[in-house]
Amino acid sequence: MTRLLYAILVGLVGAGVVHAVILLILPHYSERDAWTRLAAHAGYYHFTRMSGEDTPPIVRGGDPLFDAVACRFDLSKGIVHVKASGHVPFWSVSVYNRHGQNIYSLNDRAQVLGDLDLVLVTPAQMIELKKSVPKEFEKSVFMEADVGRGIVAIRSFVPDQTWTKAIADYLNNASCALR
Amino acid sequence: MFRTVVPVFIALVIAIGGGAWSLRYALEHGLGMETLTVGPWQANPDIGTPDASPYARAVVARRGELPLGRAEGLTFHALNDSSGAALERNCSYSIAGELPPARFWTLHAADPAMRPLPAVGLRPAALQSTAMLHDGGDSVLVTASPHPTPANWLALSGTGRMILVLALYDTPIASSTEISRIVLPRISRLGCE
Repeated sequence: MTRLLYAILVGLVGAGVVHAVILLILPHYSERDAWTRLAAHAGYYHFTRMSGEDTPPIVRGGDPLFDAVACRFDLSKGIVHVKASGHVPFWSVSVYNRHGQNIYSLNDRAQVLGDLDLVLVTPAQMIELKKSVPKEFEKSVFMEADVGRGIVAIRSFVPDQTWTKAIADYLNNASCALR
Repeated sequence: MFRTVVPVFIALVIAIGGGAWSLRYALEHGLGMETLTVGPWQANPDIGTPDASPYARAVVARRGELPLGRAEGLTFHALNDSSGAALERNCSYSIAGELPPARFWTLHAADPAMRPLPAVGLRPAALQSTAMLHDGGDSVLVTASPHPTPANWLALSGTGRMILVLALYDTPIASSTEISRIVLPRISRLGCE
């Protein structure tokens, strides 16, 4: 009897350990996370739809009144230049790390000059870049992130069906380029 | 021999089974996450941010979502109406009251797997604030129902549980400290088929 109680006690302590260990390693080994789903559809530096009209969404939990694209990048290979031009009712950008944690976001009110123009850099690349800012980055918003690999997503509001094509064109023309 | 193997086996079963089950339960019920509750509405302002708890990180990885950033907006979910009863797709609900300041907001119904309900004919499966009919005041009145209703109709279809999703975009409440003083609409059941 004592043996059995002892076994149950050890089991419960073990359950706590198993609970904590799985919790901590789950984000690193998930095969269902946004990164893995996007990787199955597109390579690095390529914007791809997060959800389509008829296809099941690649990244879940999106708003049906939004059109959205996402692009995977690797800052260890160089800085990333994200651009989209055109007039839309609302756009917003989010930068996520490899595990889908949001590390930076901005919306169209923040970029006074109008078009979306964002440069993602690591702090070390930023020091290099400050020495002489290339002409193409004159109007850009710089975002320092110490993340290595990550995801940048652009979301745009589709108020009604008349906007569907305009917003789709806007996002199709968005670029996510390694510089 | 037998007296040693059986207790070890029992301990292992409890450890692995109990650990996995308790974690699954916690992740499915939103335990261990900072939750903001306003009446029937719930939001997780920290989900997806670097300040998120290990539970919130695991939920994001498991669901395969990319949550909205603070500058983008904040999403509220309602699984129940204001009286605490589960939301059903074959029932009618009135969603009435004031909303927090935001550039605009959208409202849609989703199934328990968070897939938006399909459109009904040409009716979109979602409503948004810039195409709302107002009665003059600040408050809104939306009727979510399988049957057409006057004014703001959120078309429902099918049967089973549903989740109402209210997303506020470019809203100061996502990043401010006034998060505890938010007022959101009441959800009242009008009737079922």
